[in-house]
Amino acid sequence: MSQQDRPINRRSTAPIAVTGIGITSSIGMNTGEFSNSLRAGKSGIARWALPAGPLVPVGVGARLPDFSLVTALQQVEGVPEPLRRKIGLCAGRSPLGVQAAVLAALEAWIMSGLDRASLDPQRLGIIVAGSNLNPRYSYGLHEKFQQDPEYLTPRYPLHYMDTDYVGTLSEIFQAQGEGFTVGGASASGNVAIIKACQAIGSDVIDACLVIGALADLSPMELQGFYNIGALGGRNFHDQPDKACRPFDLHHEGFIYGQAGACMLLESTDSAQQRGVPELARVTGGALVLDGNRLSDPNAEGEARAMTQALVRSGLNPSDIDYLNAHGTASPLGDETEIKAVKGVFKEHVPRLWINSTKGLTGHCLTAAGVVEAIAVVIQLQQGFLHPNKNLENPIDSECRFCPPESTLVSIRRAMSNSFGFGGIDTSIILERGGL
Amino acid sequence: MTQLDVFQTVKRVTLEVLPFLPPEEVSIEKSLKDLGANSIDRMEVVTRSMESLGIKVPLVEFGKVKNLEGLVDVLQRFAN
Repeated sequence: MSQQDRPINRRSTAPIAVTGIGITSSIGMNTGEFSNSLRAGKSGIARWALPAGPLVPVGVGARLPDFSLVTALQQVEGVPEPLRRKIGLCAGRSPLGVQAAVLAALEAWIMSGLDRASLDPQRLGIIVAGSNLNPRYSYGLHEKFQQDPEYLTPRYPLHYMDTDYVGTLSEIFQAQGEGFTVGGASASGNVAIIKACQAIGSDVIDACLVIGALADLSPMELQGFYNIGALGGRNFHDQPDKACRPFDLHHEGFIYGQAGACMLLESTDSAQQRGVPELARVTGGALVLDGNRLSDPNAEGEARAMTQALVRSGLNPSDIDYLNAHGTASPLGDETEIKAVKGVFKEHVPRLWINSTKGLTGHCLTAAGVVEAIAVVIQLQQGFLHPNKNLENPIDSECRFCPPESTLVSIRRAMSNSFGFGGIDTSIILERGGL
Repeated sequence: MTQLDVFQTVKRVTLEVLPFLPPEEVSIEKSLKDLGANSIDRMEVVTRSMESLGIKVPLVEFGKVKNLEGLVDVLQRFAN
């Protein structure tokens, strides 16, 4: 029996609660600011002389605002003084991405009440989404290293490794369960969410800090994305907020975005025992491969991920009200995703709301899946859908793309897609808390 | 370069590496360990001090250093 023929009404995984969310991004340094930006359709994409080095052809991006961790910490309410001091000590001189992750994790931590109703540290895990997170750090040290290798900071071996996130966050938040990083290119965020749900579902841990790690690219990675033909922003260089155009006829590639995000996932039993509200639930997810080492998308693989996510959630396509699309604004990527969505949702397509958060945040690459899952949770909770930015001439007339203004609509369940280079296809399903 | 010049460099670097340390606690008879520096902090004080002073000292030279005074003496030997 093929995957498509399987009856899609039997739940095979336990739902996992979302009890905290936190974010640092170009459109908000916490979830309150981020929600307001989503609602207003505010884009973080602007002119940006990308990181120092040879001039990269595309000077448009969604940059994380400059911030000092110590100052930012003073603005977060409810941080006990010992924790504040510990964060300063552990992460005060960490690379940008780790600091962004610490701030996001702190927000999720406080929101989920872990500062008050704690968990057994050995039952708390950390999964960091993304690999090769810090190329700008290494790139920035390279010139000095060529001249005086003796002066290389002894912290380099700690900071160049992605596991710096795991170590730093586990020390700050006293997580002693499973902890590791997962690489899934632009699908990394969803991969981490799926792996966290599996670890919680199989009773290895009760809760997990899922970190969408900021992809801190150097000019070399940006030039590489440009040379491979993936980067947009060429024709709208002088109108940066129009540069990212998911599903629009004039889409021309992704716009780089920076964000650090954190979602605290927890078993429903644990959330209940601790007496903390469920913001939403992850009902299921799927990660499948196309069998393709290249960067091109594949509709069959994408459809398989969406279908399996439905099967594991025990849901039918018509149970999904809203799709947070991968929608990078890459012409081939957008067309392929629409083809896959139509294959899965069939006659439900005209009723399925679709938007892409990347039109507002840029493509946050390794963090994207977590950033967009947070956008979904906010929209489920607050009853609106953010605009699909810059959609003037939709590439498809049947799909129900979100209009230029936010839509007030009550959503019960949403799917969020993330696809990565190397044929990595992921799809997760979230439902509103208290359904 | 006097012992005091080198000590002042080492003190400034130590306070950069240990930002929560009250400056008056950094006195020459204390060890970096006494001041709360972990092994990586201690290595960082060494490499940053060398860089500030514009000198390169083989790391084996620091093997017998017991406190800031010992560190300052080694650095001073190479700085002059």
